[in-house]
Amino acid sequence: MPYQAEISRDNPTCFLFVIDQSGSMDEITETGRSKADFVADVLNKTLYTLVTSCSKSDGVRNYFDVGVIAYGGAEVAGGFGGALAGGIIHPINAIGEHALRVEERKKKVDDGAGGIIELKTKFPVWFDPKSAGGTPMRAALGKTMETVGGWCEAHRSSYPPTILHVTDGQSTDGAPEDVADGVRQIATKDGPALLFNLHITTGGGLETAFPTNEAELADEYSRMLFRMSSPLPAHLAKLAGDKGYAMGDGSRGFIFNGDPQCIVDFFEIGTRPKLVADR
Amino acid sequence: MTVAVAAPRPRARLPLAFSIPKAEDSRNEDSFHRSTKGVYALSDGASISFDSASWARILVRRYTKSPQFTRAWLSAAIAEFRKLYDRDRLSWVQQASFDKGSFASLLGVRFIDAGRLIQVLSIGDSLAVLCDGDYIKATFPFSAASQFTRSPQLLCTNPAENVFLDKVEADYDLVADWTFQGLAQPALLCMTDALGHWLLSQRDSSPAPISLLRKVRTPSEFARFVKEERAMGRMKRDDTTLLALW
Repeated sequence: MPYQAEISRDNPTCFLFVIDQSGSMDEITETGRSKADFVADVLNKTLYTLVTSCSKSDGVRNYFDVGVIAYGGAEVAGGFGGALAGGIIHPINAIGEHALRVEERKKKVDDGAGGIIELKTKFPVWFDPKSAGGTPMRAALGKTMETVGGWCEAHRSSYPPTILHVTDGQSTDGAPEDVADGVRQIATKDGPALLFNLHITTGGGLETAFPTNEAELADEYSRMLFRMSSPLPAHLAKLAGDKGYAMGDGSRGFIFNGDPQCIVDFFEIGTRPKLVADR
Repeated sequence: MTVAVAAPRPRARLPLAFSIPKAEDSRNEDSFHRSTKGVYALSDGASISFDSASWARILVRRYTKSPQFTRAWLSAAIAEFRKLYDRDRLSWVQQASFDKGSFASLLGVRFIDAGRLIQVLSIGDSLAVLCDGDYIKATFPFSAASQFTRSPQLLCTNPAENVFLDKVEADYDLVADWTFQGLAQPALLCMTDALGHWLLSQRDSSPAPISLLRKVRTPSEFARFVKEERAMGRMKRDDTTLLALW
């Protein structure tokens, strides 16, 4: 049975975010913010959650390696800046230590006596929104294959990597499907890498989440993204079902025309580890 | 002139107490406290959370000083913990963990009237055991090894995590009343979850698990016993604490 490996410091897993930064990502969503801005915020919150979920009384434990690949225009590059700019994937404690900056935000919390108070809270930022040029998706997935392949070589016993790819448009450097197939064939002893695709939109249209069959989809582009996506392992399918998505046998990790809530859910479902040992 | 002096109340016996960390180089997040007034407490701080060792220490000290668990008691304990840190000066990771909260169990025991009544309070997965000789008369809050789960409900420094207390009837769900009366060779044991799980999973083994614990009289004997059981795969590697009133 694949996807059973315990995630521990000796056998960490990997999350790789592949983010479209093409020009169309500057379109404004129903939240009043651009797609790029919204995705950057969700990615920063996801990184925050990943770091804090590894934070124990003795510090941040390296249960995860995390990377970002950003693509737009002619560029496909690591998405981290500052001290993390030198590589694509970093252990989670290095990510915790090297945010680009730490902002102060306000959050509402339970005061323990039935009321709500507003607390000033430090919020780290690793990733700033960008949007320019075309959509070199094929090159980005090529970089993903190279990155994930190297990671799996070094972590043969680990829970395989999960790749969360976020895009709002069609590839401008050639069909990406065969490269995505290559990504999904890279494996550890615990199973093949998981590639999940999120297509986001500002234009409305029929939203499709975690479909089981490409016949459910309206056009060839969405059917291609369906074929590029891995089936959700049982523990992630359950989580998606718990969030109210209609799941079936063979539901793929794919959302088409996802709204802002879908973006949040996609990141949350995709980055929920099954088991973490030595807690 | 003769001055009448009240006879001093006899001091309660202190239970034996042993505790070892999960590994030699790791901090022990279990805490225990014993008072001469017959009140004992132990707490298992969850290593998934921020400075749970301090939280566990506050809980046991406060319980032995004031063994009346109420929401006001818990709020005072949380306030004491929060004073340990200047939240604004913590790094963002520490602040996030501090806000998420520290978690710990609390097992408190009060001997009333020389053991005619023993009141046991348990929140979380630390285990109290009433014995007569090698025979286990009662355990609380669990009676089977399978009841130990990965996510017990624990007391937290974040009040939002304590809402489960709203759904329990403290006097019934969190408290067991026992007595030493009528027992030929009474004993009371309190232990954190690794040892509790071991005890309940070995309950029907021979020799009886209580007889094995009865032989442990020094910290080094306790350490040797725990290491052997861990090595045999019968005991989970975790901070391990035993209070034993034989």
